[in-house]
Amino acid sequence: MKSEPQHRIPRTAVKAWRISGFLVSLFFWLAPIAMWVFDTEGVVDLWVYLVIVSAVLAITLLITFLIPHFRWKRWRYDINEHEIDLQHGLIIVQRTLVPVNRVQHVDTRQGPILRNYGLSNVTISTAATTHEIPALTEENAGTVRDQISRLALKAKEDV
Amino acid sequence: MFSAERQHPVAAVTKVLEIIKGNFITLVLLLFVTSGESMVSLFGILSVLLVLLVSGVLSWLRFTYSVVDGELRIEQGILVRKNIYLSKERIQVIDIKAGLLQRMFGLVEVEVKTAGSSSKAAKISAITREKAEELKSMLRTDSTGEAIDLEAEKQLLQNYELSAKDLVITSFTSGSFGIALSIIGTLFSQLDQVLSEEQMLYYLETIIPASISTNMVFYSIVFVILLSWLLSFLGTLIKYFGFTLKVYNKELIIRQGLFEQRQLTIPFNRIQAIQIKEGILRQPFGLASIILESAGYGEKEGNSTTLYPLIKKARVEDFLHKVVPEFDNPVYQSKPPQRALRRYLFRMVFISLSVIIPAWFYLPYGEYAISLLLPAILLGYAQYRDAAIGIDNGSLTIRSRDFALTTAIIQKKRIQRVSLKQNPFQKRRDLLSYLVTVASGNQGRSFDIRELEESAANKYFDWVSPEYTPQAKPGADSREIADTDTNTDTDT
Repeated sequence: MKSEPQHRIPRTAVKAWRISGFLVSLFFWLAPIAMWVFDTEGVVDLWVYLVIVSAVLAITLLITFLIPHFRWKRWRYDINEHEIDLQHGLIIVQRTLVPVNRVQHVDTRQGPILRNYGLSNVTISTAATTHEIPALTEENAGTVRDQISRLALKAKEDV
Repeated sequence: MFSAERQHPVAAVTKVLEIIKGNFITLVLLLFVTSGESMVSLFGILSVLLVLLVSGVLSWLRFTYSVVDGELRIEQGILVRKNIYLSKERIQVIDIKAGLLQRMFGLVEVEVKTAGSSSKAAKISAITREKAEELKSMLRTDSTGEAIDLEAEKQLLQNYELSAKDLVITSFTSGSFGIALSIIGTLFSQLDQVLSEEQMLYYLETIIPASISTNMVFYSIVFVILLSWLLSFLGTLIKYFGFTLKVYNKELIIRQGLFEQRQLTIPFNRIQAIQIKEGILRQPFGLASIILESAGYGEKEGNSTTLYPLIKKARVEDFLHKVVPEFDNPVYQSKPPQRALRRYLFRMVFISLSVIIPAWFYLPYGEYAISLLLPAILLGYAQYRDAAIGIDNGSLTIRSRDFALTTAIIQKKRIQRVSLKQNPFQKRRDLLSYLVTVASGNQGRSFDIRELEESAANKYFDWVSPEYTPQAKPGADSREIADTDTNTDTDT
């Protein structure tokens, strides 16, 4: 077997993912807050709140601290003139190989959080599937995008 | 090359029918809501029909198609103009259909499919057959972009027709219960629009408990199965009526259909994969059907076409050799190792428990659902026994079973991606699941084999890489063959 891909995601990705994870977790807090606001009569027992709040707290900790770290730790990628090699997955580890001449288009995308950290996602589309290398530095993402699209162009075959 | 033309005026009517078909449930609901006041409903129906008819005529007026510089150009849209330009090099499949309405006027519908997910349907819904053939010959080219020599193109190499007897056998064994069951389910879900809630409650509270018995549960299950079998019989009969497959130099032409006649043109160089499917009703008789994947857009699920509905298992290789020679060589080299068996069995036990436990608690006589457990375990064993994978120079064979036994033959150059997946339980046993995807429809079609040994999975993973060179590793290979042998031993 080919050795594992070598390139890693920059460490700043973890910071960006923590912030977006935390923002997502805020939505979960809406549930107990809404319950408390609308429950003016005090129908709901205290322990129900306790259960819900501790569940939401667990989710918050998970998606703000644990998942970003382990996601970063697992992510590996390699790009050469023949193929794109990706490895990721928290619990189920997935290794994917995309032949470069199957690539239809590549683009880079960034939301406000990623932009703040100067990071950008690279999205690779084939005729059947879409793959993403997350949170590369803007400079590197641009290089990767241009590299893949140049290689794909060189090896152009039709579907 | 011809200038912009309109469709036959019948297109206005087909457009109206299309809108009605697309909004059928809404329209039926509208009818029920307004059914109280007869004047209102009559007025409502008339005005809706009028609006539909006007929009149908307008859309016909605003629809033109032409072929310019080897490009099919369709311009349409009443308010928002939508232009579709398809270059002929990109065309995957040309689909010519004739529904009942079109046949009354001697017309056909032409649908041109390309690969990719962003493009919308390029459909011309009513033109004469001559126009359609002319259009088709203009759009069919070889890869160099020059029009194909028509004489060479028309040379018929093979011709297969499904005999009446085979058609009946196909329908008998089609076993597309899933589809039929979903039709029945939809019918029942529409029931509450006819019956009022009080009537339903009354029925549920008084009639059901009084009459319920083991027999009734049993008979109703048998009834539903028979009904869905009948539906799938009729559906298959109508679909494959008059099935013919013609093999030309560069393309395949498939004709089929009783009410809606359909003609599919598939160029050879657009075929992504071939599947040999042995349904559970067909397998005991040594029968199979052959399915072809092409990269046309439109259907979310993928673009599968039946290449031939019924064939004896023994004749499959000969058929593939004559029709799609690039796919005529299924090879099996590795199987999941023996330690994978318990994972296959456990998986089916868990899946069946997810049906049995809710049935036990929520359905009357649901505890009988426990009888599903044994067939599920047997199925798990069959899945383990049948899983196999192999490669030769240019193609990959994956055989696997859900209910039906499916053998997929995929060319290396068509593989869009290959993945290995491993969860912590698999990691402990050095097992991996292997998955390849080819282009088909919007999302592609994936073929997978579960619980391969790590070294074998890695070999087939590396093989997809364009820089793969076969390396002689006798040690690893002989172990695999040994694995295969032990498996076959346990079978017999």
